[in-house]
Amino acid sequence: MDERVLPYLVANEPYYHPTGNEIEVFSSAMDRRLPMMLKGPTGCGKTRFVEYMAWKLKRPLVTMACNEDMTASDLVGRWLLDAQGTVWQDGPLTLAVRYGAICYLDEVVEARQDTTVVIHPLTDDRRVLPLDKRGEVVHAHPDFRLVVSYNPGYQSVAKDLKPSTRQRFGAIDFDFPEAGVEVSVVEHESEVSRDLAAKLVAVAAQSRALRGRGLEEGMSTRMLVHAGGLIAAGISVHEACTVAMVAPLTDDREIQSALNGFVEAQFGPR
Amino acid sequence: MKRPEECSQAQSADRRLEALRNADRRTHEVLRDALPTLEAHLGPIGRWSEIFDSICQLSMEDTEAALTLAQRLRFEPSLVENLVAFRRWVLYGINLHSDSPKRSAWHFRVSSPSAFANEDVEGDAAHLLSRREALLHYLHGFDVNLKGIDIHEPEVLSHRQAVSTVNQDLLWMPRSVPGISGLERDLLYRATAAHVAAHLKFSPLSRPVGNRALTLVSLIALLEDARVERLMVREYPGLHGLWGRFHTATRETAGFHFTGLAARLARALHDPSYEDRNDWVVSGRRAFENLANRDLHDFLAFDAAARELTIQVNQMRQSVPSGYRPAPIYRDDNELLWDRRGATPIDESVEPKYEVVESGSERSKEGVDETVHNDVRRRFRYPEWDHRLDALREDWATVIESGPAAHRGAVNRFVQKQAQRVRGLEQTPDRSIRLNRLAEGDELDLTAAVDGAIQQRSRLAPDGRIFRRHGLRHRATAVVLLMDLSVSTRRFVPGSFTTVLEVEKRAARVVAQALDSGRDRVAVHGFASNGRHEVNYQRIKDFDEPFGAEQQARLAALQGSLSTRMGAALRHASAALDGQAVDHKVILMLTDGEPSDVDVVEDEHLVEDARHAVASAAARGIRTFCLTLDRQADVYVRRIFGSRNYLIADRADAFAGHTGDALVRLVAH
Repeated sequence: MDERVLPYLVANEPYYHPTGNEIEVFSSAMDRRLPMMLKGPTGCGKTRFVEYMAWKLKRPLVTMACNEDMTASDLVGRWLLDAQGTVWQDGPLTLAVRYGAICYLDEVVEARQDTTVVIHPLTDDRRVLPLDKRGEVVHAHPDFRLVVSYNPGYQSVAKDLKPSTRQRFGAIDFDFPEAGVEVSVVEHESEVSRDLAAKLVAVAAQSRALRGRGLEEGMSTRMLVHAGGLIAAGISVHEACTVAMVAPLTDDREIQSALNGFVEAQFGPR
Repeated sequence: MKRPEECSQAQSADRRLEALRNADRRTHEVLRDALPTLEAHLGPIGRWSEIFDSICQLSMEDTEAALTLAQRLRFEPSLVENLVAFRRWVLYGINLHSDSPKRSAWHFRVSSPSAFANEDVEGDAAHLLSRREALLHYLHGFDVNLKGIDIHEPEVLSHRQAVSTVNQDLLWMPRSVPGISGLERDLLYRATAAHVAAHLKFSPLSRPVGNRALTLVSLIALLEDARVERLMVREYPGLHGLWGRFHTATRETAGFHFTGLAARLARALHDPSYEDRNDWVVSGRRAFENLANRDLHDFLAFDAAARELTIQVNQMRQSVPSGYRPAPIYRDDNELLWDRRGATPIDESVEPKYEVVESGSERSKEGVDETVHNDVRRRFRYPEWDHRLDALREDWATVIESGPAAHRGAVNRFVQKQAQRVRGLEQTPDRSIRLNRLAEGDELDLTAAVDGAIQQRSRLAPDGRIFRRHGLRHRATAVVLLMDLSVSTRRFVPGSFTTVLEVEKRAARVVAQALDSGRDRVAVHGFASNGRHEVNYQRIKDFDEPFGAEQQARLAALQGSLSTRMGAALRHASAALDGQAVDHKVILMLTDGEPSDVDVVEDEHLVEDARHAVASAAARGIRTFCLTLDRQADVYVRRIFGSRNYLIADRADAFAGHTGDALVRLVAH
C-alpha cells in the first residue's frame, strides 16, 4: 500500500451493529468492484457502516462531504503556484484512484450535477479518471472503490441524482434499526443503562410518527446517542433531551412542544 | 355644551344608525325604540357607535338575528354593559351562523354576553387555541388521528364545569379550568390528550349502553380509565408522573359521597403509594389489582368488577349525583366508550353543544350546496384582525379566485414543471460571471498567475490571489403586483383624461415587462370585494406564465367594480408568495383609496386589518409597498404600510414611472 494513503486506514474497529445481511452484500460488491450507493435517513449509520467496512476490508478510506459549493476541482485537484511555478495538487478522489482506497462521497446529491459527472468514467468498465486540466488519464488502482451515500428524504425534487449517475451503482437501503437493535446501539455508544436507552428510543419512535407533518425527519439514532452521552455525563434527563434531541430537530415551536411532550411521556414531567 | 369629542361620537353614531336604516329598516326601528331604555341604563354618553357597529355587522349577516337582538336590548339593556364582551358575543354568534343557523338563532335568543365577559376565561381559551397545533402533533405521536381539537362553548346556562369529550373525531376541551394556570395548563392539556390517546388505543369504543344503570356506567368507565392508563404507562412510563400530578383526592378533601369515593378509588388505582382505608376503595383496589395481574387486555373481566362495586354503592345508598364528572380533571367524560342509541336519551335542553342540526333543513344550507356544485371557483378562507378585541376573527373573509378550475390546474402543472427548472438554476454557477484574482478558486487566473510568477522571480512579495472561479447567480426577487380593481378606479385621475384603472394597467404593464425577462419573477393580480364572503381575486399573470398575448388581453379587459377589502387580498397574495423559492418577496400594491367594503360601517376596522395583514406578511419575510393615487392617502397609508413603504403619486403620467422606480428600489434592497 502506498504511504500516501496510509493515514487513511481505519485503525480501530468501529462499533457497528448489523441490521440485516448488509455486511455480506457490501463485501461481495466490493470484491466485484461494484460502486455502491447507501441510501437512508440522516444519522441511521451509513457513515459508520462505511468506516466499519473499510476497517474490515483493511482498505484506506478517503471521505468527502459534498455540498453545493463543491466543484469538480475540489474532487480531482487543481493547479497551485509555488516558487518554481505551477504544481498540480491531487484532489481526494484522484488520491484514492491513484493509490487504491475507498473513496466515500457523503451526501452526494448535495454536490452540483456538473460535479458528479466526473465520477462517470470511473464507474463503468473503463475505470479511468481523465484530468483534463492536466492532460492526464489516471487509470484506477485495482484497490480503488467508490461508495456514495445520500438521504432520499429531505432533498427537494430538483436535488436528485441523474439517472445516468444512479444506474452505475448498486444500492443498499438503510433505515433506523428496529427498536431492540437501536436500544443496544444507544446503550453501547453512550454508555447508559438499557432501560434509559429504551426510553430514548421510544421518544424517537414517537417523533418519527411526525415525519411529513411538519418534521422532515424524525430523531435519528445519532441524536439519541448524543442525548445518552450527555445523560451519562451527568446532565439531567430532560435537559439532555432538549439539548440533543428536541431543539436541534426543529425551530417550529408547536412541534417542539409536542416533542417535549414525548420526552415527558417517557420520563415524566420536568 | 358638548365637548368636541362627544360631538364627533354622536356624529359617528348617527352615521351608523343611518347606515342601518338603509340596510334594515325593521331592526332600525326596533333599535330606535330601545334607545331610551339603553340611555337610561348606560347614561347619556354611551359608546353608541361601538354598539351600532356590532348590530350593523350582524344585520348584514343575518337580519332575523339582528331583529331579535334589537328587541332584546329593549328589555335587557344590561346586554351591552360590557362592550368588549358584547362584541365577542355577537361575533361568536355570527360565526355560528355559517355552520349552523339553528345554534346561531338560539345564541341570540337565549344566551348572554356575560359568558364572554370573563377576561381570564377568554385568555385561557386563547391559550388553548394557541396550543392546539402542538397538541395535535402530540396526539399524532401516539398514533392517534383526530380531526381536530375544539373548545367548548362558553358556559352560559349551567354552572357545571365543562369536561373534555371526544365527539365525531374531534376532541372538545373546556375553555378554562379554574385553579389551573401558567405552566400547569400545558401539563393539563397533555394529560388530557394522553388520556384520550389511551382510550383510542386500548378502549372498546361505542359499546351499547343497553339497560345499564348510571352508577354501573360510571364505574365501568372509572375502571376503564385506570385500565387504559395502566396499559399506556407500560409503553410511556413518564405519563404516570404526568397524570399523578392531578390525583389529589384524599379522605379529607374528597369526602364520602359517590363523587369523593370515586375520586379516591381513581387515585388508589393510579398511585400504589396512596393509602386509603375506606372499605369500598380497598375492595375496588383489590379487585382491580387481581385482574390487572392476570390480563389487562380483558376488559370484560373489569366489567364484572364494576358490577360488584355498583352493588356495594347501592348498599351504601349512594348514587351518581347530577353533574358528576370523572375525576381528576384531566379525564374526559368517557362518552366515547358508549353508544347511547337505544338507551334513555339524555336531556338536551341544557346542553347545546350536543345539539344536532340537520343540514338541509335550513334555507341557507341548500343555497350553499347548490353553489358548491355549480361554482368551480376556488375559495380560500382568511382571518381578519379585530383591533377592538385585539384578536383575529378566524376564517372571516373568503377570497374567491376566478377563472375555471381546469385552467388553473393546467397552469399548476405548468408551474410545477417550470418551478423545477428554475430551482435547478439556483445550483448552477453562472458562467457569465467570472470572479478573478481570488485567493481560492477552481482554476488559475492566468493573468494573475503570470503577474505572480514575475513578481516572484523579481524577488518581490507575490500577490497570492491568483485563482478564479465562476460566480453564482444574483439573489432573485418575486413580486406580486396587486391591483385595486374597485369601482372607484373608474374615476378619472384629477387633471387628466385617464381613469385610475388605466393608469394602474399601464404601471402593471411596465412592471411585468421589466421583470419578465430576467430571473426575477413577477405576478400581476387584482382584487375587488363584495362583502366578507366574496373577495374576488384575479390572477392576470401568474409567476410562471409569460406576459404574452393572453395575459395582456386579460389585463386590458379588467373592469373596475365593487369595493376594496385590502387585508384579505394582501393575505392571499402573501400565501401565493409563500410557495416561491426566492430570496426576496415583495407585494406592490396599486390603489386609489382607503380600504372599504359594503358590510363594514366601522371606520378603522379595515385599515387596522390591512395593517395587520402587512405586519404578518413582514413576519414571513414579505415586504409590502404601496403606490397610491389618492392625494389624501397620507394618514391611512402610513398606518397600513409603515412610514417608508408608500409613495403617493398623484399625477397620472408619472405613475407608471414611479412604479418602476419603486420596484427598482425594492429589488435592489
